[in-house]
Amino acid sequence: MSNSEAITLNQEKAGLKHMKRVVAAMAIDIFLWAYTLLVSYKVIYQKMIADIRYAEFSWNQPVYALAIGALVALGLFLFGRLSIGRATQGLYESDDSKSVTTEPFMLLGYFIIFITFVAGLNISQVSMREFFSEAGLLGAKRIFTALFHPNFGILEQAIFAAIETIYMAFIATVIALPFAFLFGFFAARNLMNSSPLLFALYNLTRFFLNITRSIEPLVWAIIFSVWVGIGPFAGMLALCLHSVSSLAKLYSEQIENISEGPIEAMTATGAHHIQIIWFGVVPQIVLPYLSFTIYRWDINVRMATVIGLVGGGGIGTMLMQYQGLAKWNEVGLLAITIAAIVWIMDWSSSRIRESIK
Amino acid sequence: MGQNILEVDKLNKVYPNGTHALKRVSFNVKKGEFLVVIGLSGSGKSTLLRCINRLHEPTTGTISFEGNNITNIKGKPLRSLRSRIGMIFQHFNLIPRKTVLTNVLTGTLSKTGVFNSIFGIFSEADKKKALELIELVGLTGKENRRADNLSGGQQQRVAIARALMQNPSILLADEPVASLDPATSHSVMQYLKKVNEELGVTIVCNLHFLSLVREYATHVIALKDGNLIYEGSPSEIDENWFQTIYGEDAVEVTID
Repeated sequence: MSNSEAITLNQEKAGLKHMKRVVAAMAIDIFLWAYTLLVSYKVIYQKMIADIRYAEFSWNQPVYALAIGALVALGLFLFGRLSIGRATQGLYESDDSKSVTTEPFMLLGYFIIFITFVAGLNISQVSMREFFSEAGLLGAKRIFTALFHPNFGILEQAIFAAIETIYMAFIATVIALPFAFLFGFFAARNLMNSSPLLFALYNLTRFFLNITRSIEPLVWAIIFSVWVGIGPFAGMLALCLHSVSSLAKLYSEQIENISEGPIEAMTATGAHHIQIIWFGVVPQIVLPYLSFTIYRWDINVRMATVIGLVGGGGIGTMLMQYQGLAKWNEVGLLAITIAAIVWIMDWSSSRIRESIK
Repeated sequence: MGQNILEVDKLNKVYPNGTHALKRVSFNVKKGEFLVVIGLSGSGKSTLLRCINRLHEPTTGTISFEGNNITNIKGKPLRSLRSRIGMIFQHFNLIPRKTVLTNVLTGTLSKTGVFNSIFGIFSEADKKKALELIELVGLTGKENRRADNLSGGQQQRVAIARALMQNPSILLADEPVASLDPATSHSVMQYLKKVNEELGVTIVCNLHFLSLVREYATHVIALKDGNLIYEGSPSEIDENWFQTIYGEDAVEVTID
């Protein structure tokens, strides 16, 4: 490739990049305007001004909003500095002496934040009247009194359940560890961008990790309790799967942040790819990994109580049983026990993490 | 002396972002030479060094090492090429949390099996040699200290020992003293000189300070905006050349 060829190629690439940005900017604008119109109409107008309780919804409405939004966005896209899309894609020349907050395109931004806030209040049915109603306050008083008079008769039982929870969380973390360790390398961009094959593997790993992480452990616990039956094993599996994806993500970010120097030095000695990772990467990540892993155990203990709620075993299951029977004194004791374990785990894990820094 | 160990011919390097770092750079390095590359930051010195051991891929042009064209080799031949070229860096690039001895031993990775090296099994001969090299760079007694707890100058000496562990026929030094204080700089340069004169290792070294260039180099090339604009002996760099290389406003700063 000669120099002039390289330059034309770069120009073409720049042109293509510009096109991509314009298209992205338009899409952002159209979406924002459609959103503004739809929310203004459905929530602000129908619910709050016209006070329609059960407003009809048809799929025509978002389609119309999108169409009108597209027209408005296209109209504003060409004139002035009114397009947020252009601003986010860096298509405006920015004036450093002027703050972004005073730019014209921010007007729509402020309006969107405002209507989202108003619509949010309306949708979550925020009501001060119910918060301070007499019946409500009485109920709160009853439950708080019971919680503050815990039944110590079930203390032994609660402690055994808590121990079960801690062990469950520990095993979940330990089993997750080797998988997360391996996936961490595959999900680290700086190790995987050397060939198209590795990059495909990187994307596949990322995809898998994102899917498993975006499904809540609670949902996994339900799935596994059907699969292997209700009990600690199902809870452990759920925690384990979620730990693999969360830890792998943290590990890979750690790998992406390491200093390139030792890797370069190891490459320069003529070392094999595996040796480069073992000597150039691993010594830099061992301690952060250990720290993340201990922290994850801590999180798993906390989550194990939640997973118990769907039959995952441990102290969570006990909690669910007593609250189902409305035995608030027992629930009070369990709440204290959970708080105690979480506090102890939190304290000891932060001490351990500090000392290995 | 006299025989070319390295021949660089019309080397071009264009980075993916369009930066044209090297423009048709050609030069030869003779066996046993102490070649110094000078030039402003961003003139392409580091890129040039990294093209020689293929840490960066040259765009066009050829590089011959000991008579073999190494511009396009891959895989095992590339690793074996790199094992014959030592390299030290501005920021030392030692492995943190590992001992001096382990760091020096990583110089033999290309000859040690993957499995053995992962379990830290190095041959007795290699260990003996590593200790000898630690002695050569004046760090006896610090074998089992963590490398990242040493001072900058000592770390650079560990890096030299690591590079020598490869039995290199050529040593690339990328601004080896740029992050060291003046006194330490001279000490590190003295060790490089010793390696060059006593062990007969050819050295290609990037430097900033002309005073160091005059003292240690046997041959000099200068880069400016990716072009090779000077080649000759260090004593020939006068005021005019200095301003051509570093720009009209530059004032020479010495280090002693």
